[in-house]
Amino acid sequence: MSGVDPVRPGPLLGTAPNPDAALSVRGLTKRFGSFTAVDGIDFDVPRGQIFGFLGPNGSGKTTTIRMLTGTSGANAGAALVLGEDVLSHPERVKKRFGYMSQKFALFEDLTVEENLRFYAGVYDLSAEEFAKQRAYVLAMADLRGRENELTANLSVGWRQRLALGTATIHQPELLFLDEPTGGVDPVARRHFWDLLYDLASRGVTLFVTTHYMDEASHCNQLAFIYRGGLIAEGRRTTFAAT
Amino acid sequence: MRSLSRIGAVTAKEFIHLLRDRRTLAVVLALPVLQMLLFAYAISFDVKNVATVVIDLDKTPASQAYVSSYESSDFFTVVGTGDDLAAVDGVFDHNQALIAVVVPSGFGRSLAAGEKGSVAVYLDGSEPTAARVGQAFSTALNQVYSQQVTIRWADAQGLDVTAAGQLEPRVRTWYNPEKRSSDYLIPGLMVVIIMVVAVQQTAVSLVREREQGTDEQLAISPMRRWEMMLGKVAPWTLLAFLELAVVTAVGMWFFDLPLRGSIGVLALGAALFVFCSLGLGLVISAVAPSLETANMLGLLLSILPAFILSGFAFPLSSIPGWLQVVSCLFPARFMVTITRGVFLKGAGLAELWPEIAALGAYAVVVIAVAIVLTRRRR
Amino acid sequence: MSGHRIRLLMWKEFLQLRRDPLLLRLLFLMPILQLLLFGYVVAADVKNLSTAVVDLDRTSTSRALEASFGASDYFVITQHPGETDLKHLMDTGAISIAIVIPEGTQAALDQGQTAPIGVVVDGSDSQVASVGSGYASQIIARFNADRMASQGISVQAPGVDARVRVMFNPTLASVNTMIPGLVAAIVMISIMAVMGQAVVKERERGTLEQMFVTPIKPVEYLIGKVTPYAIAATVQLLVVALVGIYWFGVPFAGQLSVVAAGLGLFMLTSIGMGLLISLVSHTRQQAQQLMMLLLLPSFVLSGFIFPIDSMPAAIQPLSWFIPLTWAIQILRGAFIKGSGFEALSTQFWVLGLFAVVIFGAAIAATRRRLTE
Repeated sequence: MSGVDPVRPGPLLGTAPNPDAALSVRGLTKRFGSFTAVDGIDFDVPRGQIFGFLGPNGSGKTTTIRMLTGTSGANAGAALVLGEDVLSHPERVKKRFGYMSQKFALFEDLTVEENLRFYAGVYDLSAEEFAKQRAYVLAMADLRGRENELTANLSVGWRQRLALGTATIHQPELLFLDEPTGGVDPVARRHFWDLLYDLASRGVTLFVTTHYMDEASHCNQLAFIYRGGLIAEGRRTTFAAT
Repeated sequence: MRSLSRIGAVTAKEFIHLLRDRRTLAVVLALPVLQMLLFAYAISFDVKNVATVVIDLDKTPASQAYVSSYESSDFFTVVGTGDDLAAVDGVFDHNQALIAVVVPSGFGRSLAAGEKGSVAVYLDGSEPTAARVGQAFSTALNQVYSQQVTIRWADAQGLDVTAAGQLEPRVRTWYNPEKRSSDYLIPGLMVVIIMVVAVQQTAVSLVREREQGTDEQLAISPMRRWEMMLGKVAPWTLLAFLELAVVTAVGMWFFDLPLRGSIGVLALGAALFVFCSLGLGLVISAVAPSLETANMLGLLLSILPAFILSGFAFPLSSIPGWLQVVSCLFPARFMVTITRGVFLKGAGLAELWPEIAALGAYAVVVIAVAIVLTRRRR
Repeated sequence: MSGHRIRLLMWKEFLQLRRDPLLLRLLFLMPILQLLLFGYVVAADVKNLSTAVVDLDRTSTSRALEASFGASDYFVITQHPGETDLKHLMDTGAISIAIVIPEGTQAALDQGQTAPIGVVVDGSDSQVASVGSGYASQIIARFNADRMASQGISVQAPGVDARVRVMFNPTLASVNTMIPGLVAAIVMISIMAVMGQAVVKERERGTLEQMFVTPIKPVEYLIGKVTPYAIAATVQLLVVALVGIYWFGVPFAGQLSVVAAGLGLFMLTSIGMGLLISLVSHTRQQAQQLMMLLLLPSFVLSGFIFPIDSMPAAIQPLSWFIPLTWAIQILRGAFIKGSGFEALSTQFWVLGLFAVVIFGAAIAATRRRLTE
């Protein structure tokens, strides 16, 4: 773990959540019966950061994301997403963040164009906004001229980029990525991270879960979760140099 | 020899899948037994205790004697009485009774005067089975009552009414002397239950495999198409066969189903039938582009034909000829004849060879079609 | 709730339906095909039974008796075997009824005695057995009456003159009761088969998770999901019902509004049940297994095939929990008896309650998925 200043999670314990951060989590806990999936975690993600949420499979990463995106309730704790209490009023903030999962949840029996149109409609984009974003996504995903192809016929790399495009079609301030590079070859993975850097450079906060340790080098802040608890959290001090 | 070992490999793999998938295993093994237990109690065409309403407008000892003949019958259960003819409509509309008996005023007077006393019996024809039997029973009941009245009258007059000579039907019911419809239905029910499970499960599990892509892996191996089919079908055949044995045991122990014929013929028929059902499942899985469609086809080609075109509940003797041909497209039809023949009639190969041969031919054709269709998919 | 988002979900759903042409074809053509095929089977009344006559008397009386059997619609005399061949014919199923006229029948009648006529029926088919023996007895009774009348004997005796009248369906044709039930059963199967996969498919592919991260609300999702299928199901229902009525010539005595309301409510419960199965299942295979679990009892216990009155008292209450039971009562009542809303109010309330409970459970299941 060279390059990371390990910080015990103590300092944030008991402090009030920070409304100016993109994400501010205090004592967030989720239990399934007697099993504690997420055990009182605390962390802050300042705006504009690439926050790496690392841990082995089954450590509680996806459960945390589900709580932070308002698709799952919490048993205890507080979570502010873009300054809003996502646990009690997820609908207030849902339009301001995006989400992309390892499954690339596109409708495979719809075309590229139809997938974009659907998500644009879900986020209430105006006709002009949609035209602009559509052009941007098609360029970014290298799908120009293939708008009318069924998504099922695209190969994995393209599908991944299209999924990123649909997840950001409403220009969110914050983007959750749950294992976004699973099952993708190393070249496509690098290409994908270039796209993420591009998003970050435009001020989008990225919350990325991964179990690839090498991907940690792409992040400027890291947290390690193991068996539901944070075991280390901190800034990558050497980030500026790379 | 090599192909045998390859078939063995696929069979072993299918078995592992089956054993891992506890839920499917439970569905395949326990469900038929549960269904057999529940449904065998429920199914029956025997009409008894039919709700009857009696409207006695005469209220004389004669009319009361007539009405009590309904009360003492097993077939009728008097659920209500009324004083008003208009009540009949309401009773039928609300499904309170299927039969209404009306004794008009003057009934007792007519009988006493040596005339015919008229009564009216109304039947709700919207339940034809019950109505048909009801019609027969009330006609018979009236004849018996009439005869009693007539004989009493003839005795008083010193006449012998039986002098003319009559034909008298002596009905004998072979194979099922008590005419228990459960004896007739349960052998068919077994077939239906097995068919539904077998066709559905194969179709769906094969399509799922294709969607998960393990299929491709096997396709590039040196495995031949038919070897793979055989390997896949083998464990299911065994399972379905086991199921049939259990269901048969349940039928015999719980429902006193007599097994009069050759158990060998039953087993042979069962093995062929299971193979045919699985073949049908294979064909569905080859045709269906998606799991949804496989499901839909499985439902449409198993449940309804098994219930309706197999002769299980509806006699096939009265359907049009072209439909007879269509019904032969589903193996259940032959198997129902076989189970009924073996269980109830004590039939053996001498009587049932046409059905056995038909099932054998069906199995060969359906597997061949499945292989051709799967090959064409690629 | 946003109408805009619901329309969007519906648009997406229609596009997806259109992309699976086989499914669409199955959805619209199979029910009609099934209705036509199965309609003939369920509508068939026991008629034209293959009959063997064993005439050991060989007199004018025995020939006259055989002729009166031959003249009936119910019997087709196909064989004249010897007495010993009867067993084999019955065993192979070549005949289902045999009439045995013993030697000396005419002689017995001439002496004013009662002569027995053997009627042997195949009990391995209980319907054929009971109907066949019933009709055989009727033919013999009519033969007796005709004989007495022709000999000028008419007994002026008192007795009961019973007028047995069948109301609503005077010919007792099965077609009139079975076709409405078959329409309901076919529509139920095809709706549930499609609906049962609808949500679980999206769950398997991950699109469900994706959608709930967006501002789409559970109720919007359910409405957007159900409406396209409800429209498809309505069209299907109309077509199947019309084909059933016109092709099979089912007389329609009742009010259209009662049938429409009954079928509509039943369709909703079927959609709701399919939806619920889809929501609680984790894989499509599970959904399909659950569906089988529900469909078989619906057929066996609803009274569609086997009369509920014939079931043991302990089992009858089970039929109350099956929507098809109530739908069939409404349809049979409306079609054959012309019953209105007042007479069928219990059935309508129960079906309505089913719809409310099932859709309530569907919404709760969606919510629970979000907060679990």
